Amino acid sequence: MDPMVLRALAVAVGVVVLTLIGRWWQARDGRVRPGEDHDALRRDDLDALGLDLRGASAGAVLLGSPTCTPCGQVKRVLADLATKRDGFRWVYADAADHLGLAEQHRVMRVPTLFVVDASGRILARSSGVPDVDDLERVLDGDRCDGLAA
Amino acid sequence: MSRRLARDGQGSLVIDVRGPRFGAAITSLVLGTALVVQGPLGLALVAWQWLAFAIATFAGLAWSPYGNVFRLVKRRFDLGPPPATETEGPPRFAQACGFAVASVALVLLLSGLTVAGWSAVGVVLALSVLLATTGVCVGCELYLVGQRLRASGGRG
Repeated sequence: MDPMVLRALAVAVGVVVLTLIGRWWQARDGRVRPGEDHDALRRDDLDALGLDLRGASAGAVLLGSPTCTPCGQVKRVLADLATKRDGFRWVYADAADHLGLAEQHRVMRVPTLFVVDASGRILARSSGVPDVDDLERVLDGDRCDGLAA
Repeated sequence: MSRRLARDGQGSLVIDVRGPRFGAAITSLVLGTALVVQGPLGLALVAWQWLAFAIATFAGLAWSPYGNVFRLVKRRFDLGPPPATETEGPPRFAQACGFAVASVALVLLLSGLTVAGWSAVGVVLALSVLLATTGVCVGCELYLVGQRLRASGGRG
């Protein structure tokens, strides 16, 4: 066969394979997982992040990077939640400034979100862009229902 | 031209989130064609793409050739208001990454290392196909790995 036809076939196959990988990746992306028992953000970590939970009902910490596009989408989701819910506070931090925290909680990628209660206990976490409804369910208190999948 | 563009509170350019994916689709088309035909025409297409990356990286996305094509298409076909907007920082960084790898590819091709050169073109093509078809943020997956390496390197 003509090498040009072969190359065209290779490029076409590559595009299909990459699209499938991307789709698969996106299906996993943003899944809100319940936090493990006793998993919490320590007070000094919260101080370093600048999240003050005194008088709050719940909070969230978003670890991101300056060059991350989905981080902006997560920020919009959080800002939306904060206007809808009194007592919900959130902060954004560059993951590079909190590498110790990232390591301790096995953060592999940005954006990673931790949803915590007023004491700093991790209710749920997600990597990628979470669904606002999933986060609302977490804040409403049904930690596991509908999140297990 | 850039004066009419939207800016956020900090004065950074704000763009339609559909723009980068539209641009990535054109980039994929250009580099895919280049990879298939190769030869002088393929080289010219890679050189053009390199220039497009360079303009977007150094002059900003307001001057990006594909970004301006997108604006024309938007107006001509009345695609409606942006579903969301974002600051130009992250997509401009992606253009800079494309520029870096495309530069390597161009140098390799011009120095006769065609297999290595076209492989580098393939890398840029793969990343832009991923962005165009799914919007996956590859830089996000690598950021923490890079920062950890830098931190451990800094400690000695």
